[in-house]
Amino acid sequence: MTVLAVEGLRKSFGGVLAVDGVSFAVEPGEMLALIGPNGAGKTTCFNMVGGQLRPDAGSVRLAGRDIGGVSPRRICRLGVGRTFQVTATFASMTARENVQVAAVAHRRGTWRPWRSAADLERPAAEALLDQVGLAAQAERAAGVLAYGDLKRLELAMALAAEPRLLLMDEPTAGMAAGERVALMRLVRGIATGRGLAVLFTEHDMDVVFGVSDRIAVLARGALIASGAPEAIRADPQVRAIYLGDGRTGGERPASGGRDC
Amino acid sequence: MGFLLVHALTGLAGASSLFLVASGLTVIFGVTRIVNFAHGSLTMLGAYVGWTVLTRLPRDPAWFALGVAGTAAALAALGALLEMGLLRRLYRSPELFQLLATFGVVLIVQDAALATWGPDDLTISRPPWLRAYVRIADERFPVYDLVLIAIGPAVLACLWLLFNRTRWGRLVRAATWDREMVGALGVDQRVLFTSVFALGAGLAGLAGALGLPAGSANLGIDLSVITEAFVVVVIGGLGSITGAYLASLLIGLLQAFGVVLIPKATLVLVFVVMAAVLVLRPNGLLGRGGAPTALAGTATPVRPPTRGMLLGWGLLLLAALAAPLVAGPYALSILTEAAVAVLFAASLHFVMGPGGMASFGHAAWFGIGAYAAGLSAQGLGVPMPGALLLAPLAAGVAAVLFGAFVVRLSGVYLAMLTLAFAQIVWAAAFQWVSVTGGDNGILGIWPPAWASGPAVVYLLALTLCAGGAAVLQRVLYSPFGYALRASRDSPLRAEAIGLDTRRIRLAAFAVAGAAAGLAGGVFTFVKGSVFPGFVSIPHSMDALVMVLLGGVQTMAGPVVGALAYTGLYDGLLRATAYWRLVLGAAIVLLVLAFPEGIAGAVQRRLRRA
Amino acid sequence: MLAVEGLNSFYGQAHILHGVGFAVGSGEVAVLLGRNGAGKSTTMKSLIGLVRPASGSVRFGNREVARMEPFRRAQLGLGYVPEERRIFAELTVMENLDVGRQPARDGLRPWTPERLFTLFPNLGAMRRRPGGRMSGGEQQMLTIARTLMGNPRFLLLDEPSEGLSPLIVEQMAAAIHALRQEGLSILLAEQNLHFAAEVATQAVILESGRVAWTGSMAALRADAGTHGRYLAV
Repeated sequence: MTVLAVEGLRKSFGGVLAVDGVSFAVEPGEMLALIGPNGAGKTTCFNMVGGQLRPDAGSVRLAGRDIGGVSPRRICRLGVGRTFQVTATFASMTARENVQVAAVAHRRGTWRPWRSAADLERPAAEALLDQVGLAAQAERAAGVLAYGDLKRLELAMALAAEPRLLLMDEPTAGMAAGERVALMRLVRGIATGRGLAVLFTEHDMDVVFGVSDRIAVLARGALIASGAPEAIRADPQVRAIYLGDGRTGGERPASGGRDC
Repeated sequence: MGFLLVHALTGLAGASSLFLVASGLTVIFGVTRIVNFAHGSLTMLGAYVGWTVLTRLPRDPAWFALGVAGTAAALAALGALLEMGLLRRLYRSPELFQLLATFGVVLIVQDAALATWGPDDLTISRPPWLRAYVRIADERFPVYDLVLIAIGPAVLACLWLLFNRTRWGRLVRAATWDREMVGALGVDQRVLFTSVFALGAGLAGLAGALGLPAGSANLGIDLSVITEAFVVVVIGGLGSITGAYLASLLIGLLQAFGVVLIPKATLVLVFVVMAAVLVLRPNGLLGRGGAPTALAGTATPVRPPTRGMLLGWGLLLLAALAAPLVAGPYALSILTEAAVAVLFAASLHFVMGPGGMASFGHAAWFGIGAYAAGLSAQGLGVPMPGALLLAPLAAGVAAVLFGAFVVRLSGVYLAMLTLAFAQIVWAAAFQWVSVTGGDNGILGIWPPAWASGPAVVYLLALTLCAGGAAVLQRVLYSPFGYALRASRDSPLRAEAIGLDTRRIRLAAFAVAGAAAGLAGGVFTFVKGSVFPGFVSIPHSMDALVMVLLGGVQTMAGPVVGALAYTGLYDGLLRATAYWRLVLGAAIVLLVLAFPEGIAGAVQRRLRRA
Repeated sequence: MLAVEGLNSFYGQAHILHGVGFAVGSGEVAVLLGRNGAGKSTTMKSLIGLVRPASGSVRFGNREVARMEPFRRAQLGLGYVPEERRIFAELTVMENLDVGRQPARDGLRPWTPERLFTLFPNLGAMRRRPGGRMSGGEQQMLTIARTLMGNPRFLLLDEPSEGLSPLIVEQMAAAIHALRQEGLSILLAEQNLHFAAEVATQAVILESGRVAWTGSMAALRADAGTHGRYLAV
């Protein structure tokens, strides 16, 4: 069954149309990359799916249920995990505690003021940290973790809620090149293993073409192409607007000098 | 009709005075990001200096104007000295420490003014031109108030020109937006900051001196003025001068008509308006988003207590329990107060540290608890255990009702809303004489025979307060406590993992309110009485000093801070009549020496070792 | 003109720059290249003083400036253009320029708003517009113009082509050529190699906070291995 189905999504800010009739769908175990130039409406699309923005028109269906305009907290409860472009973790807690808090929240165990939290969901948290490769960092405070490790921690926290859909907004921004591919391969493995649907935006074309099953290309708020990576790579319109032919210096596909 | 007009004019005159103070406060905040608690003290000094100057000058209008201008200039100079000597060293400290330092200045100025000008209200003799009236719609209206009405817009216009038509003004506006970038463009921010502070202090001095003909120079100006100025600045939007003027008009008119309509509840009216504005516009009328929200500095990791630490706490508790064997009645009474202080500080720490909500009016809950215990014991004849149960209950319920507003805000706005609410409770305690006894308080609330005697009272207070503090600690290590810290560290992430951050913060606010209420209830039976002072700003500041002294980010902080502060306070009270001055100076020095609190500094030292 | 040696900088607790050193001669345009997170921005901030280097030396002209406050460095003639542009959003174009104004410097023709409007014609058409209501490209021009009002001898340009349309990037390249003609020396941090190749004479490649390669732009173009190792993925 389709996990996420977005249809005719529309949003404008102060009269400017940011997203104009965008539709796409993500199946279980599938990774869909949303790409396009800066200002194309990727983040706006993303925030409408994640509940941070309410769509002006169109529908966002999660396993058949309309979640357009539902609060992020409810959307989480319905099985959507997310990571942020700028990592958001709990700096005053260890990596393990971060995941524990997420797991306890998922099991509705937060409102117990008298129970000690030290051992709640500890095995689950440790297993998740192990899965994302952070077992060695479990007892370090999130505030002192390296940026790449924070991205992994966010992933573990998102997975703690056993989501059906994972939203990742520029998951590899600010990471070193080697780390990027490693992180997204990890996500690829988890998506396949758990049947998790993944929707992500990304500027790094190596990552996009390396891990995604399908790619949707946005430009000026509208979907100009979507399909398998090879079809997208060959699409003349996409090359003209976004990927380029490798000679123009102005329009850069990525935030990291990879267009040469 | 004439009646309405005259009241409206009175309101406008009041608005001008408010604006002079508030504009200075908001300009200083806009650029330096310092919430200058001492702004009321500068106004008070303006009144005293103005009195000194004006009583020595000829009494005609020209000399009066000159004297007022001279006073403003003197205060501007003093402000510049204050900035260069103290605040300049604190720009990199967490905002709460800056605030604490300015509160230290409040205390110092209090005693300095007392020593210099004495305890009596000082008035200037009013020559005929100051007593003149005009007839407006068959009512007599003072000419001086007409002058005041004109001064507000005139100052607004001058400030507007200064900020929009001079290079200095452009630099200040640029610095308000991004002070680091202004520095990178070659502007010496130190000069800019000093001059802004001088301008603000000068405006405060102007306000103080202009208030003399209709009032007096007295030692109560500082705190009454700062509360009103906070309300105005928050309603207008932090950093917005025009917003401050609009808010001054609103509050001035509200006060003028409020006195007629509901004389006893003017403050309540003001508060309701403030809460309404902040609910509709969380950044005030003309404030913009992105105002600083983090008050307590960056979060540091919190570790569950180790076995060694638990052992330490156990030994401390044993020593405390054994104290009656060795301590005399006086020492026991101090220890009893220390126990109450520990719970009071721990409850504030609960919302402020892990909760991330810096409350400037925490005495409200202490006072509500104290009055609930006192009134139920004396008025309704409820026995002591019942009264001690009612205290946290009443405070907790009040905290839920009020907290519903508070948890929508953050940072400075939240802090000022709590301060304003505490002032309402204080006003109720002070003015509602038939119930609370007003300034005389409620007397003769003693424990029953079985619980009398200093040792029993001490042990009772110790049990309840140490128990309460232990409960708070326990909650902090529960899933709820983690969720509370999660909501503070990253609301975005907390919501994204399904936590209801607003409800969690509200619950924490209620728990802390109830705990402070218990402390207040216990204190009532310790002292045998309740006074409005329990709810006063200085009492709220006591709690803040204790928590910050101990360190916000350490769990042991409030206990260390409460014990240190109670000891310091008692020692000072016995040693000198000018205890405020010494205490204020001590606070200032401590902030300069330990920007992260005593327990925080010790902890860091230990980690390094 | 600018000589950096053994620069170590931290961001919070993270050690970002590890002994960075390079030099830029008078009248040259050098470019700092490297991936995201390589330390380009931190280097720029350390040079103007927004990040305090923990150790190391920054010589500007014949003065050691590594311990100086940012405003002193700016007054000495170091101009810094931040990556995030940091326009004063509530101030108009003219007011933004006025904030950057510093006294004229010997040997350099002083900048006036009118001269800057010939360099960036778009700005001249919107003198009274608040900075917050300008497009990204216009803001980028304004932030450079604002720094030029300080009559710098040396310009630090952090990612001037970031997020700009091809047309604006071309204008930016032309402006940098014009500035070089005026006698300014320039250090830019860039990710856009094509843009860098068009304007720079010299390149410094950073990798994980260390200088991995320095040389002329022509040498870099010829050296496919260096290219592949540090700049491509």
